[in-house]
Amino acid sequence: MSKPLKSVIVVALLALGGLTPSQATVVVSSKLSSESVMIGQMIRLLLNAAGISTVDRTALGATPVVRKALIAGEIDLYTEYTGNAGFFFNRTSDPAWKDLRQGYELGSRLDYEANHIVWLTPANASNAWALAVRKDVARINHLRTMSDFARWVSGGGKVVLACSAEFANAGTLRSLEKTYGFRLRSEQLIVLAGGETSATIGAAAARTNGTNTAMVYGTDGGIVAADLQVLDDDRHDQPVYAPVPTIREAVLRANPRIAQIVAPLMAGLDTATLQALNARVQVNGESAAAVAEDYLRSRRLLP
Amino acid sequence: MISIESLTKRYGSSTVVDAVSMSIESGSITVIVGTSGSGKSTLLRMINRLVEPTSGRVLIDGADTTSTPAHLLRRQIGYAIQSHGLFPHRTVAENIATVPHLLGWEKARITARVAELLRVFQLDVATCGRKFPHQLSGGEQQRVGVARALAAEPALLLMDEPFGALDPVIRSKAQDDLLDIQRRFGTTIVLVTHDMDEAFRLGDRVAVMREGRVLQHDRPGLLLTHPADPFVTRLSGTAERALRLLSLTTAGELAEPGPPEKRTVAAAASLREVLSDLIWSGTDAATVMNSDGTSAGRLTLARLLAHGRQD
Amino acid sequence: MSQRRLPALDPLGALLSAIGVAALVFLPFVVFKANRVVPGEARTLLEFLPAGPLLAFDLMLAVAAGTALFVANARWRLAVALLGVIAVAMAVAAAGNALTPPGNKVVRVAPGAGFWVLLIALGLMTTDAITRLRPGPAMRVLLLALFAAAAGLAFASGAFDHLSIMREYAVNSDRFAREARQHVLLAFGSLAAAVVVALPVGILCHRIPRIRAGVIGTLNLIQTIPSIALFGILMAPLGALAAAFPWAAEHGIRGIGTAPAVVALFLYSLLPVVANTVVGLARVSPAAVDAARGMGLTTRQILAHIEIPLALPVILTGIRIVLVQNIGLVTVAALIGGGGFGAFVFQGIGQTAMDLVLLGAIPIVMLAFSSAVVLDALVDLMNRAAR
Repeated sequence: MSKPLKSVIVVALLALGGLTPSQATVVVSSKLSSESVMIGQMIRLLLNAAGISTVDRTALGATPVVRKALIAGEIDLYTEYTGNAGFFFNRTSDPAWKDLRQGYELGSRLDYEANHIVWLTPANASNAWALAVRKDVARINHLRTMSDFARWVSGGGKVVLACSAEFANAGTLRSLEKTYGFRLRSEQLIVLAGGETSATIGAAAARTNGTNTAMVYGTDGGIVAADLQVLDDDRHDQPVYAPVPTIREAVLRANPRIAQIVAPLMAGLDTATLQALNARVQVNGESAAAVAEDYLRSRRLLP
Repeated sequence: MISIESLTKRYGSSTVVDAVSMSIESGSITVIVGTSGSGKSTLLRMINRLVEPTSGRVLIDGADTTSTPAHLLRRQIGYAIQSHGLFPHRTVAENIATVPHLLGWEKARITARVAELLRVFQLDVATCGRKFPHQLSGGEQQRVGVARALAAEPALLLMDEPFGALDPVIRSKAQDDLLDIQRRFGTTIVLVTHDMDEAFRLGDRVAVMREGRVLQHDRPGLLLTHPADPFVTRLSGTAERALRLLSLTTAGELAEPGPPEKRTVAAAASLREVLSDLIWSGTDAATVMNSDGTSAGRLTLARLLAHGRQD
Repeated sequence: MSQRRLPALDPLGALLSAIGVAALVFLPFVVFKANRVVPGEARTLLEFLPAGPLLAFDLMLAVAAGTALFVANARWRLAVALLGVIAVAMAVAAAGNALTPPGNKVVRVAPGAGFWVLLIALGLMTTDAITRLRPGPAMRVLLLALFAAAAGLAFASGAFDHLSIMREYAVNSDRFAREARQHVLLAFGSLAAAVVVALPVGILCHRIPRIRAGVIGTLNLIQTIPSIALFGILMAPLGALAAAFPWAAEHGIRGIGTAPAVVALFLYSLLPVVANTVVGLARVSPAAVDAARGMGLTTRQILAHIEIPLALPVILTGIRIVLVQNIGLVTVAALIGGGGFGAFVFQGIGQTAMDLVLLGAIPIVMLAFSSAVVLDALVDLMNRAAR
């Protein structure tokens, strides 16, 4: 590169340097959703307490942005979802994603081989699409799993499901129907244009037009507040989206303790816990960082 | 004082000014006249190097104009254009002070010069200096344009159709004012116009241009009596030439001794005006009066007509 | 016999009164939500205002309507409209207080459609009255500053703290300050960089007509690239640059965040400034430039003293366009980690919390509006000086 060109680039780069802080020890990031931010804050607080200095870059951006940033080394750690590896590596049809352990192992191997990204301990929860039914309806009809649900529907149960257009038309509903052997008629469906689960949950809570079942994400905060119960995907029709912290190998090598620090946290985050925590952030409007700290103290994970 | 030596300007294959040579006396008014496209403006603009010649040179007081950088040369030469080109965002005083400012005059000298020029050009010294160009009338703007051109006391003033935008009533006043100013400051003036009347009115010498060449460069009377080219005749207009010739002489110049007449005319009036007056009043002769009231003689219609005859 | 003429009806006043009455009667004034994400129920003024204040409020609005319809004097209209705005603000603050059980931090009282329409109608009446008074540029900026100060005081006093948007603010207050700084830095920083480059480019395009079409064409092309796409496209080369020059990464040049945002905004800012510079310079009187040359000013002097000053109003208009554009575009930068108020907007969308979206959106609109007013005033001042 010619000398004058180099100096031009130098000057331009110097001029570009914004308010972004310079290199710190571990850059902890996250996606935009409140759950991602909350888990990111939990990890960051734990690392700080263990004497590892961090830079808070949670709520960085959408999935592609955060993923690119990790691979490029601009951030060091963020929480991904196991099922997403199917999209990253173009293997969505692989049945391994439908099981948490198998999906975790497959994703972990693929990401390490391709990008030297290490997957730490996953949570025992899935943020996949699911059906949640009103608790009173579930109690009366003994509905705990999707198989129960299918049996109830096929047996003539009065079900009205609120879901998004994408859920109804892009294959998820059909897949569930095929796996569990039930079929919903069009008058049993209320299809909403957007994808917001707050709307579907709200419909089920208010029994709008007879809605008693809602499309939800497995760990949605609104589920608890609306008195709904998520139906367990006992035949594993949907891929599992378990939160899993992903970290650059070089950073892990420099701070091997991170794996042990994060493990007990993730192990304790099951579906019910995440729902309750998300409820506090999404529904009650508390700050994600405050809820994270509160949870860590309550579990004695913070000194 | 100004020597134009074989000045040529070519744009591609067309020759706009074709080997023009002429010399201009100090302190005179030279009018370059021609139809549009004759190259008169280009010729003018080659004197102050707004247009660089393809070949030939211009000497001012013996010095080649290319011996100094163009912008420095132009600060020594006044330049006034038809649309006056006043700076809209500067006051009249600031406009006029432009070149003195460039030349580094002290503030006091600039202020004095601006006031003097405003007075000379009959603009109100107290209020006009602070106004902006858009607040002035067309006539006032034109006067400011010329004042600005003269601000740095140049020995040479170039004018490109300076009165073209004025209405006829103001135009003749402006022309008279220019003659006054030239007499007062003694500036050499080179003026370009397409108006033959203006050329005859103002010019000590008139140069007729056509298709890049100077057909004749002479006293205006000679253009009428001894045209060098049929085009010169056409331009002067055969219908008007007798009257044009008459307009070149004043009554005082042609008066002869004789008995006093009932009708009087001013000595400064042109013969053309006298003729008009005699026809209108139906008389054959008039007494010519000087401005101080004394008699300069008498002028008869016959003598007048004889003067207007081509001889 | 003498004929009593009906006082003339002001057409704008008629429209605003009709809208205002409709809003008051048919639209909910506030929306009561049991928590942050449920849709919520409408509440009208009757349900939370005691009789006295309710009467006073209705009276105030009636006076406002009457003034809008019949009073021609702009000063009166302005005064009444301002009082109306204050009344509506007080009413919504009262709603927040009345409908929130003490100590409860979960329920959300959000301004409803009725509030927004009334506020907009009274706001239009205010700005219309101000326009009729024809204030000069300095006066307009002063009025803006006064409004900002008054609003700031109102918010700082805590009167609106029970409203949903302020609840979101309370949770995010430190981040709010940080994102505000980032938003302003991104918008103004990219503008400054663009002006430094675009001004000379514009001058060149004016001087050399041959390159004009090519340059403007290229910039036009850049302008058509959707912002999200451009941000995404820039991430790779900037990331590679950061990898090649490690110290660059240390100084904040990365593939994400500020750097790609600034570069993208810089690119988008070029066209309006270049185009307006060219147009502004073209409108400078050629006679003035010719006279200046003839008088012996150098090219640089002509540019600095004649051309730029005379072209400045048009150039500033271009800058005004860019600033408002950039303030809006910075919103998208949040998607690639650039921060700014857009962070709240996208988080709010993701969490279906409209109040969080408003927490991001309203400051953006206010920032854009204020910038437009200030820069317009500047252009006005230039126009008056350089006719």
